[in-house]
Amino acid sequence: MATKETPQLRSISACLAVFLGLLNILNTGNCDEQVPLIMWTSEGVSVPSQSPPTAGHIVGQQQLASYLEKALSVGPRNVVLFLQDKMSIEDFTMYGGAFGNKQDSVFPNLEGALRSSSSPLVLPAVSWPASNAVIGQLQDQLDTSPLYMDPETLSQLRLNASSPALLVFRLPYGFGADLMSAKDILSGNDEMIGQVLSTMKTQSVPYTAIYTALQPSREAASLSMEAGVGGGRSLLQARGGWRERESKKERQRKIKAKEVIYGPVEFKEGDDTCIMLWATGLSVSILRSGRWEEHDLTPSTFGEGVSPKLAGSTCNKSKARLVLNYEKVLGHSSFKLIFAMSQRHYKVSARRWFTLDAVELEYDGTKATFNGSRHVYAPAEYSYRCGSVTNFRWPVLIPRTSKDPANQWRVSFADFQIQGFNVTGSDFSYASDCAGFFSPGIWMGLITSLLMLLVLTYGLHMIMQLHTMDRFDDPKGPAISVPLTE
Amino acid sequence: MLLECMMNGHAILYTGVTVAFWSTILIVGTCYTIFDLGFRFDVAWFLTETSPFMWANLGIGLAISLSVVGAAWGIYITGSSIIGGGVKAPRIKTKNLVSIIFCEAVAIYGIIMAIVISNMAESFSGTTPETIGARNYQAGYSMFGAGLTVGFSNLFCGICVGIVGSGAALADAQNGNLFVKILIVEIFGSAIGLFGVIVAILQTSKVKMGD
Repeated sequence: MATKETPQLRSISACLAVFLGLLNILNTGNCDEQVPLIMWTSEGVSVPSQSPPTAGHIVGQQQLASYLEKALSVGPRNVVLFLQDKMSIEDFTMYGGAFGNKQDSVFPNLEGALRSSSSPLVLPAVSWPASNAVIGQLQDQLDTSPLYMDPETLSQLRLNASSPALLVFRLPYGFGADLMSAKDILSGNDEMIGQVLSTMKTQSVPYTAIYTALQPSREAASLSMEAGVGGGRSLLQARGGWRERESKKERQRKIKAKEVIYGPVEFKEGDDTCIMLWATGLSVSILRSGRWEEHDLTPSTFGEGVSPKLAGSTCNKSKARLVLNYEKVLGHSSFKLIFAMSQRHYKVSARRWFTLDAVELEYDGTKATFNGSRHVYAPAEYSYRCGSVTNFRWPVLIPRTSKDPANQWRVSFADFQIQGFNVTGSDFSYASDCAGFFSPGIWMGLITSLLMLLVLTYGLHMIMQLHTMDRFDDPKGPAISVPLTE
Repeated sequence: MLLECMMNGHAILYTGVTVAFWSTILIVGTCYTIFDLGFRFDVAWFLTETSPFMWANLGIGLAISLSVVGAAWGIYITGSSIIGGGVKAPRIKTKNLVSIIFCEAVAIYGIIMAIVISNMAESFSGTTPETIGARNYQAGYSMFGAGLTVGFSNLFCGICVGIVGSGAALADAQNGNLFVKILIVEIFGSAIGLFGVIVAILQTSKVKMGD
């Protein structure tokens, strides 16, 4: 029996060794990703400050543990941990007013806290994914479990200087339905940090605060740029050279591979596709207790192997209704997103047009209706496409009445394309885009400029018509002399 | 032979510009038709998406500028004649200043209307056609129309009075009895400018811009 097992064991251990080897390679491959970590104590607490790492040094897991241990052994045992989804040192460079424009900095609260603290510690580069162990290490060293909070619940908590506590505040970074810029998100996070710190100040409990993230927000581009595709530099290599272009192309190819390529949602009547819908982002948000809670419906609607439930959809010559059924959206067990379209002949333009009459959200018996016919229309033979169909940013969808439940919802469809009639095959027809070639501003500028040009032309014409009087010129006669005396 | 066809630089320039303009329109129109994109040519979109402020200010600008062009042209024509005729018959100079005053009145109509119309421009807080509201669109278009009305009528009134005044000065230089009768012609010419002002005031009487 033993002899039979050893070959198996040997093969298993061989596989394990190869696997571990691969893991290590992958780990060293990720070695160039770093996440900054900022730690400080509340003002009034004097602890011996630790020496920051030398410039460019990447702090590993062991070193991070020793920093934390030193800080927590002599410092306060109440730890406030601000954990952002993503962060890189470039965020501070770009948005922290580092170029002499301190007034544009989006981190006023953070900078104030670091200034007033007696022992701030900034680790610009903690290797990732070692930095994810921060919570685990804090948990071990404080011997408590982390409490996930937000600023409202913090004011209800009573902290004790003697008993250790680990309070974790999650801060977003990724682009939500609002497509807020990184600057706005970081500014919002900094405000939350300010709120938390002021609440902690009113509680007058000394604390240690840590600000870090779970992932880096940017890839380390510099290394790959200098290394080039084959590694090393070529003689007389200048910026924008062939190697840089190659590395840029490779990076773009990698990004494109991550981009979404999937087919549209098709509702078929029998064998023929009747309604088609495509988008890169479908998200709905509801306003609950002063905050917008968002739910992204894209993964349950689009993707390889994803087939959304279209029960209730109908389709005929003049009306088309696409019903997308979801479960467990924002606390509602059944949630429906309905697109109601209609087409008819319009006499003045002598053409058939279709309109997206309504976008309805049906949940738990309530129906929130958005009117879309004002802006979403296209000739009936074509599909309608728009980069952004929302009800809050350049709104295209409008709640039906001012008392409609739709006023508490925000819907946002990104890169949206829909066709409800005259679908041939399984491709969209020509896409009538919501954005025209000239914007209203361009037209206004063109008209005013052309008017000015016309005026200028006419004026020039008149001036060029003026001629010197030459009726009495006599080139052969004596020159005119004007005597000085009377 | 080609040189004979091209008379002067002006003709080349104007024919070139006209050809460019009409060919652009023709090609754009043809493309719209061929590609069945005629539905994108939407005049209503243009009229509702452009800001009423543009129309209002164009009206104000045109009111004063076209009136001044008319007045200036008239004065230039009359003034040259008075000055030229006054060399041989200095007695005409005082009487014929009346023609100049008639031309100047046209410019005064223009500036009064420009001030009246610009006082009606108020700010409003809408950004989409629905929130701007019909009243603001009506205000914008009325102000544009009033500006055009007063501008063009004053333009032609000024030219008319100028040419008549020039003839009056030269006739007066020949025979002093003629001036009084010719003045009546000038008065009729001047009345046209007044008509323009009256109609412009009627157009802007119902204008109410703002929220």
